[in-house]
Amino acid sequence: MKFEPKIVAFLCNWCSYAGADLAGIGRIQYPPNIRVIRIPCSGRINPLFIIKALRHGADAVLTSG
Amino acid sequence: MQKLTAQIKDAAKKLLEEKKVDLVIGFAEGSLPLRGTPFFARTSEEADKLTWSRGCENNLANYLRKREDKVAVVAKGCDVRSIVALIKENQINRDNLYIIGVPCNGMIDRKKVNAMLGGREVLAMEENGDTVVLKGKDFSETVNITDLLHSSCQDCRYGNPVVYDELMGELLPEKGEDDFADVKEFAAKSAAERRAYLAKEFSKCIRCYACRNACPMCYCEECFVDCSQPEWIGKSAANTEDNILFQVVRVFHSAGRCADCGACERACPMGINLRLLTRKMVNDVKELFNAETGVNMDDKAALATFTANDPEPFLVKE
Amino acid sequence: MSTKPDKVGAVLVVGAGIAGIQASLDLAESGYYVYLVEKSPAIGGTMPMLDKTFPTNDCSMCILSPKLVDCGRHLNVNTITNAEVVDIQGEPGNFKVTVKQKARFVDPEKCTGCGSCAEECPVKVDDEFNQGLNKRKAIYKQYAQAYPNAYAIDASKCLKIKKPKACGKCLEVCQADAINHQMQDETKEIAVGSVILCPGFEKFDVSQLAYYGYGKLPNVLTSLEFERILSASGPFGGHLQRPSDGKEPQKIAWIQCVGSRNCRIEHGYCSSVCCMYAIKEAVIAKEHTHYPLDTAIFFMDMRTYGKDFEKYYDRARLENGVRFIRSRVFEVMEADDGSGNCRIRYSNEDGSIGYEDFDLVVLSLGLEPASEMVELAGKLGLELNKFNFCEPPALTGVATNKPGVFVAGAFSGPRDIPETVMQASAAAAASAADLASARGTMTKAKEYPAEKDVAGEIIRTGVFVCHCGINIGSVVNVPEVVEFAKTLPGVVFADEKMYACSQDTSAQIKEAIEQYGLNRVVVASCSPRTHEPMFQETLKEAGLNPNLFEMANIRDQCSWVHMNEPEKATAKAKDLVKMAVSKAALLEPIDGVTLDMNHDALVIGGGVSGMTSAINLSKQGYKVYLVEKAETLGGIANRLRFGMRGEDVPAFVSDLVAQVNADANIKIFTGAEITDVHGFVGNFETTLSSGEVIQHGVTIISTGAEEYKPTEYLYGQSDRVMTLLELEGLLAAKDSKVTGAKNVVFIQCVGSRDEERPYCSRICCTKSVKQALKVKEINPDANVFVLYRDIRTYGFFEEMYREARNKGVIFIRYTVDNKPVVESGAGGVKVTVTDHVLGVPVEINADVVGLAAAIVAAKDTNTKLSKFYKVPLNQEGFFLEAHMKLRPVDFGTDGVFMCGLAHGPKNLEENISQAKAAVGRACTVLAKDSISVEGKSAFVNKKKCAGCGECESVCPAKAVQVDPEEKVAVVNEALCKGCGACASSCRCGAINVKGCTNQQLVAMINAL
Repeated sequence: MKFEPKIVAFLCNWCSYAGADLAGIGRIQYPPNIRVIRIPCSGRINPLFIIKALRHGADAVLTSG
Repeated sequence: MQKLTAQIKDAAKKLLEEKKVDLVIGFAEGSLPLRGTPFFARTSEEADKLTWSRGCENNLANYLRKREDKVAVVAKGCDVRSIVALIKENQINRDNLYIIGVPCNGMIDRKKVNAMLGGREVLAMEENGDTVVLKGKDFSETVNITDLLHSSCQDCRYGNPVVYDELMGELLPEKGEDDFADVKEFAAKSAAERRAYLAKEFSKCIRCYACRNACPMCYCEECFVDCSQPEWIGKSAANTEDNILFQVVRVFHSAGRCADCGACERACPMGINLRLLTRKMVNDVKELFNAETGVNMDDKAALATFTANDPEPFLVKE
Repeated sequence: MSTKPDKVGAVLVVGAGIAGIQASLDLAESGYYVYLVEKSPAIGGTMPMLDKTFPTNDCSMCILSPKLVDCGRHLNVNTITNAEVVDIQGEPGNFKVTVKQKARFVDPEKCTGCGSCAEECPVKVDDEFNQGLNKRKAIYKQYAQAYPNAYAIDASKCLKIKKPKACGKCLEVCQADAINHQMQDETKEIAVGSVILCPGFEKFDVSQLAYYGYGKLPNVLTSLEFERILSASGPFGGHLQRPSDGKEPQKIAWIQCVGSRNCRIEHGYCSSVCCMYAIKEAVIAKEHTHYPLDTAIFFMDMRTYGKDFEKYYDRARLENGVRFIRSRVFEVMEADDGSGNCRIRYSNEDGSIGYEDFDLVVLSLGLEPASEMVELAGKLGLELNKFNFCEPPALTGVATNKPGVFVAGAFSGPRDIPETVMQASAAAAASAADLASARGTMTKAKEYPAEKDVAGEIIRTGVFVCHCGINIGSVVNVPEVVEFAKTLPGVVFADEKMYACSQDTSAQIKEAIEQYGLNRVVVASCSPRTHEPMFQETLKEAGLNPNLFEMANIRDQCSWVHMNEPEKATAKAKDLVKMAVSKAALLEPIDGVTLDMNHDALVIGGGVSGMTSAINLSKQGYKVYLVEKAETLGGIANRLRFGMRGEDVPAFVSDLVAQVNADANIKIFTGAEITDVHGFVGNFETTLSSGEVIQHGVTIISTGAEEYKPTEYLYGQSDRVMTLLELEGLLAAKDSKVTGAKNVVFIQCVGSRDEERPYCSRICCTKSVKQALKVKEINPDANVFVLYRDIRTYGFFEEMYREARNKGVIFIRYTVDNKPVVESGAGGVKVTVTDHVLGVPVEINADVVGLAAAIVAAKDTNTKLSKFYKVPLNQEGFFLEAHMKLRPVDFGTDGVFMCGLAHGPKNLEENISQAKAAVGRACTVLAKDSISVEGKSAFVNKKKCAGCGECESVCPAKAVQVDPEEKVAVVNEALCKGCGACASSCRCGAINVKGCTNQQLVAMINAL
C-alpha cells in the first residue's frame, strides 16, 4: 500500500489559513493528507504542540504564519 | 587554593559582621576530598568553615531564587552566568545579592578520578601547578589536572565571573572561542546513527529528574512533564521516545538560559551524556540568535529578541 | 415658518478603495452611520490588484482582507455596490444624495459565493481585475476575497440579459435561487451630514504615447499588468513569465515617468508612487525566479522620499543588485533577433545614446484622477486643479472648496497607500467635526436574549454538516459524515443542511439548540474566516455564548481541493469534524470585558500638528489637554515664513494659536514635560513636570522634530552659510545679505541620505526650489544654483521645479562620493561642484549658501515618551507606527496615536492631514462609552506562574506584565489581542489563551 503520510498543519488565521482558503477558492488540488488546526497567530504555536503531534503519530508537522 | 579560601573567609566574615548580608552561601569541605559541599554561613564563626577547592562543583545559583533576605554568594564563572540569567528572569533581586566572584579554572570530576584509579579510594589530594597528586591508602599518582576536569570545565570559556561585587584572587587569562567540535561531530553523523545513539543513551533514563533538580534554571512550579491538562508526554521511564522528548523539551526550555554549567550531567545517576543536548542548544542559540547566556546584564532573552539579520534556516523560501 | 434642519449623523463615502474603507470604518466606530458607495460590484479598489506592498513587502491582499471583512460586516456601514452618486444637494450637516444603483442580477443576500454559476456560464470575457491577461465569465466575482462575497452579472455580456430566452445555465445550477435576470436599476435618496470623496485614481492611458510600444510590442507591459503577473492569485499563479509566449524572462526593464512629469501631454506632475513600486516590482521579481534575473530601472530622479523608502532603495541597489540607469528613454522597439525582446533606446546623462535589449519592459504608469468624478465635480461646483485632481485648499489637508465635502486619497493628488489611509482617517475626523451634535443618532446596535448559563452542564454538542449546494456534497459524502458525527463523544444531534448559512437554516439551528438542549455547536461547512461571525450570531440569538461554537472547514480546505478523491476527502472531513467536536467539548463561555473609559485626550506637543489635533478633538466635543515643552505654542512652524504653495504661514500659525487659546475645551500647559505615565487605553494617568496629574483616555504624540545642525560646508564658520530655515528668515526680512546676493547656492541632502541618517528628509528639495524662486523674485538677476542628488519635488511640486528651471535656476547634480566643496574665499565662499553633464568641476563664488539640512528626530523626548507609553521608535528616533501601510498613525499599544514630524519628515500640509488622521483614529476609541473587548485574551494560572517575565518580553501588545508584588504575570485584557505568543513561550504552562487553550489544541491533535 502506498505510504499515506499524516500531516498536521498549524496555520495562522490571518495569513496561512487564509492562504489555504484561497487555494480552495482557486480549486488548487493537493493531496488530502493534511489536517489543519487554525490558530490566532503563528506565535501561538507552542513547540510542545509539534512534539505532541509527532508523538501522537503525525508523520510531519507544518507550521506557517 | 588556600589563598582563595582565606580570602573568601575574610570577605564572608566582614560581610556578616558588618551586617551587610544575612547569609553567605559558599562551600565547605566534604567528608572526603573533592566533595565540596554547599554551605550556608549565617555567623562569622560559621563563615570560618567556608572553603575553596577543586571540588566546589555545585552551581550555587540554585539556592538564590526568590529570597527575601540579603545574601552573599561565592560564585565561580558558571554560577555567575546562571545568576545573571536568573536576575533577568525576576528570580533574584540584584539589590539583595552580593556576589563574591571567584575565578575558576575548572573542577575535578570524581568519576574521572575513579576511572583512572580503578576504584581505589582517594584520601588526599595535592595540587602542584598543572598536575595533581592523588594519594590513597598505599598509592600516590600524579596526573595532569586538565585530564581530570569535568567536561563542562574543559569546554568552559567563562571561568572568570562576568559580574561581581568583590573579586577573590586575580582574573584568569581569557580563553578562545568554543569550536563546539563535539556538537559538530555528532551532527555530522547520519540520522540513523544519531537516533541509535540517543536511543541507547536515553534508554538508561529512570526519570528521577535529578537533572531537573540540579539545574538552576529549572524552576517551574509545575514542569511540563508533570502536567496532566494536557498531558504533553508519557511519564513512564519505560518508553525511550518519551525519555528523549523529556530531555529535548527540558533542554529547549533552557535555550538562551543554559550556562552549560554541567550540573544536570553531574547529577545524573545513570551517566547519561546530557551535555550533548545542552551544548547543541547552546551552539544553536549562539549561531541563530548570536546570544550567550548570562554573559552580561544587558542582553535580552535570546528567544524574545528579533533582529532582521537573524538567520532563519527553518523558513521555506518562495 | 422655517427652522434650520437638524444635522444628520451619517456620512456619505464615495469610493470603496482603501481610503473609502478606512474612512468608513473610522466613522462607523466613532458613532456615525456610513453609506459607502462603490461603482464596481465589490469593495477594495486598486489595492487587491497589487501583489506586494512597499516598503515592508507585505502581501497586499493579506493586509487588506481583514479590513474588507470588518467593513463588509459592520452594522453601521451600508455598502452600496454597483452604484454611483449622481447628485448632492443641500448644505453641510444636511445633504440629500441621489445614488443610482445598477442592477447586479444576483441577490447578494442570497448568493453564497459558491461559484457554481460561473463554472457553468459559457461566456468568457477579459478579466479587468487581471488587467485583461486572462478571462473571466459573464457572471463573476471581481476577486476571490471580494466583499460582498457574491457574484454579479456583466449585463453587457450576459446572453440571457440580451435575449431573455437564451442560455440561463446559471439559473439551473444556483441552488440558492439568488439569480434574477430581470433585476432593474434603482435610484436611492439618502440623507447625510457630510461627504467624503475618495474615488481613487485611474492609470495613465499609455496608448497616447506610441514611442513606448505598448499595444504594438507584446512584451511591453504596464506596471499593473506586472503586479498581476507577480501575484499568486494572478493569471499565472505567481509564476513569472511573459504573457505573450510563456517564456521566463531573463532581463526586465522598468521605464519611469510614463505619463508623469510630461508637460506635452498635460501631465506635468509627478505621480509620487512609481519610483517605489518599480523598485518593489524589481525586487519581488527577483524573489520569484530560481535563476538570476537582471532588472534595470530607467529613471530621471529617484524619488524615494517616504518613510523607510530610501533604505529600500539602498537595499535594492546594493543587496538585490537592481540596476538603476539615470536616463531619458526615447523609444522602445522590437529587437531585431526574432526573440520578441524589446530594445530600449535612451540617452545617458552625458548625452551619449545607449541601447539595451530586455525580455520584458514594464512601463511605470502614472496616476490620473478618476474620470467619472470630473462630471460630478462640475455638478457640485467642486474646484479641481489643472490636472483635474481635487487638490485641497491650502493647509486644510482634506477639505474641498465646498464646506461639508472632503476628499481623501489619490483623487486629491497622487499618493501612496499610507498617505491615502492617513487622509482617509483625516477626512473621517474632518467630516465628523461638524456633526458632533448628531453623533450616535443614526447608528444601530443589536439586542440579544439573556445568555444561558451552561456551567456544570454535561456536554451536548450539535453538529451541522453543510452540502453548500453541490460544493461540498458532490465530493464529500455528507450523510456519511453526519452518521460519523453522531458517534462522537458528546454529540447528541447531527444533521445535514443544503446551505448552512441560509436564513432558514439559522432558524433551524436555533430550534435544534432549543429542542435538544445543545450547549456546544459545530458547523462543518466553509471557512470560519468568512462565516464564523455569522454562526456565532445565531448562537447569540439562541441565548448561547458565541464562543461555544466551532467550525470544521470541509469546503475551502477539503472538497474544493480534493475534488478527484471523494473517499479521501470524506475521510478528511470526518477527521476535521472529529477535531472540531473534540475542541468544542472543552470550549467554555467567554465573557467580554468592559472597563470604564475616560473621554479626555492628551496631546503632547503644541506645534501645528498638536494644535490641529487639539482643535479637531475639541470640535468633536472632547476635552483636550495640550502639553508643550516650550514656553510658547507653534513649534518649528514658528520659523517658517513661506508655505509650499504660497500660504502665509505666520498668519496661519498665529490663527491656530488664537483658536487653541480661545477654546474652552482645550487646557494648555506650556513649559511642561511628561514625567510619568501609568495606565492604558481609556485609563491613562500622566504626570507633568509641574506635578499636575492628567487623567485621559487617549494620547496623541506630536512632539515634532528638529533641524539638523550641520557640521559640514563651513556651517558655523562662515556667516554666509546657513540652513534653509535660517535663510527663510532672511528672505522674509528682505535682509541685505540675500537681497544683494549675486550668487546663491543651495546644497541638498545635508545630513540626509548618508550613512548616519539613511533617510530622505522629504521636504528640502521643494523648500530649496521655493526659496530659489523667492531669491529670483527679489532679485531676478541673481544666479541661483541648486546642487542636488535627486530632485524630489513629488506630486504637484514638480510644477514649481519646472518654473524654477524656466526662470533660470541652475540645477547641478552631484554624487554622494563627490560632494560639493565649500571653502572660504575672497569676499564670500567658493563652492566647487563637479557638473554632472560636463563632468568638470564648476566653481561658484557664492554670496549665500543655503544648506538643506536634514529633519532629525527629537531623540531624547521621543525616547522618554517611547518608554512611558510603551511605543517603539525606529532606528532614526522617529516613532514607529503599528503598520507602515495600513496603520500609519496608530501604535501597537492601544489608545496611543501620533502625527506630524514625530512620525517622520513631511511638509506642513501633510502634517495637518496627519494630525486630523490621529484624531480620526483617536475618536474611534473616545466614542465608546466603555472599553469592551471580546475577551479572547490570555489568562494566567497564578499557581503555575514563576514570574520569569518571558511573556512580558514577547508580548507585542504590551498587555502582560509581571506584578512586582505578587511576582506573577498579570494580563491586561483591554490590551491583549489574544495572539498567544505568551502561552507558547511560557515554559511553566502558566499562561493560556481563552478559546484556544493548550488543552483544546491538544484535544484536536489527539482526535487524529
